[in-house]
Amino acid sequence: MSLMLVRGLRKSFGERLLFDVAELALQSGSSYLLTGGNGSGKTTMLRILAGLETAQIGSVSFEGVTIPADEICAQLAPRVVYLHQHPYLFSSSVAANVAYGLKAAGMAHAKREALVREAMTWAGVNHLAHIAPHKLSGGEKQRVALARARILNPKMLLLDEPTANLDEEARRQVAGLIRQMCDNNHCVVIATHDSELITLENAVQLRLENAALL
Amino acid sequence: MDLLHTTAEALRLLMMGDAELWGIIFVSVKVCFLALVIATPPAVLLGFLLASRVFPGRRLLIVAVQTLLALPTVVIGLILYMLLSRQGPLGGMHLLFTQQAMVIGEAVLAFPILAALTLAAVQGVDPRVAETARTLGAKPWRSSLTMLLEVRFAVMAAMVSGFGRVISEIGCAMMVGGNIAGVTRNITTAIALETSKGEFVEGIALGIVLVIIALTINFGLALLQGRGGSR
Repeated sequence: MSLMLVRGLRKSFGERLLFDVAELALQSGSSYLLTGGNGSGKTTMLRILAGLETAQIGSVSFEGVTIPADEICAQLAPRVVYLHQHPYLFSSSVAANVAYGLKAAGMAHAKREALVREAMTWAGVNHLAHIAPHKLSGGEKQRVALARARILNPKMLLLDEPTANLDEEARRQVAGLIRQMCDNNHCVVIATHDSELITLENAVQLRLENAALL
Repeated sequence: MDLLHTTAEALRLLMMGDAELWGIIFVSVKVCFLALVIATPPAVLLGFLLASRVFPGRRLLIVAVQTLLALPTVVIGLILYMLLSRQGPLGGMHLLFTQQAMVIGEAVLAFPILAALTLAAVQGVDPRVAETARTLGAKPWRSSLTMLLEVRFAVMAAMVSGFGRVISEIGCAMMVGGNIAGVTRNITTAIALETSKGEFVEGIALGIVLVIIALTINFGLALLQGRGGSR
């Protein structure tokens, strides 16, 4: 059984057809590299899968349960988490950002404290716990966003160009974290321009080309 | 009387702790503070709803808020006067020429500026805020709260602007307060009265206080904005 199965996915902007995909099946524990040229619809596809953007959708099911197309985000978040290319960190502290999803889920402060510390240690941002997010570098922001997503133990992680605009060192660190998440039985879908940027073993290659998913 | 000499006299009056003078300042600050406390929650809520929700009558409400922004304070004072006067529909409450009436008037004046600036702030918020909150599992109310927290410095700036509007206006305070010594006389009505009598010293002293209040609030806001930074 697919983790997420989308049928009849079609997105167009006015007259222009962005993509038309008969079926997209994403499996639990698999990693996917979604590639394609500029404007091919990689970001849009991830946003649709996260329920942040509307499209014509025949049917969507998650773990075998059918989800109304207009309730994808409401029903699947935070089991499905989307990370922007430039993640937005709330203007509190790094620790508060990492704790955000747990707080939203109603977890008590004492219980989430250890989890937050563990997630920050995993991402290597423990020393930044009380720093204002606007003072972080691009790579640090990306790592905090990954920790903020990972702490929720999502079944599916949708990453939009996670290593774009990062220097070599930051790119290496972020790619290392993503690799760990892929190995950890999450379903990770990564939209990227350059499929060689993140050399993931056993990653399924998906390519958006001429409005079709190959 | 030259300006320099008058200013020196005004400063001396302030330093001496003149009871009447400080009583007038207290009335102004108290009325404006209470008006802001009353007006801020509904105005911020309205501004937020107008910016983030689509509902019938939304455009009409936005136009109404913007129109109220431009309405002269004396007109609002006049309307309130008619409502609160003995023959008015709220005359039975005996609020005219009381500090409560002034608080109501200043709250009405502060409301549109608070709502309009909150509306602008929320409209300008990065769309990733709501998206990030939603994808991390926040329910709609928490997502809304997160958006409001992200624009908290803009809302505080709106409060400062609202305070500035109400503490410096005279029309409404004069109409519904009546400028009664020791009761409803505030900084602006006192300045007008003293000037009309040719007593410039007290007027200048109160003017200095107004400027100091404005400077203090804006300095505090600048400090807070510095702490807030940008994403």
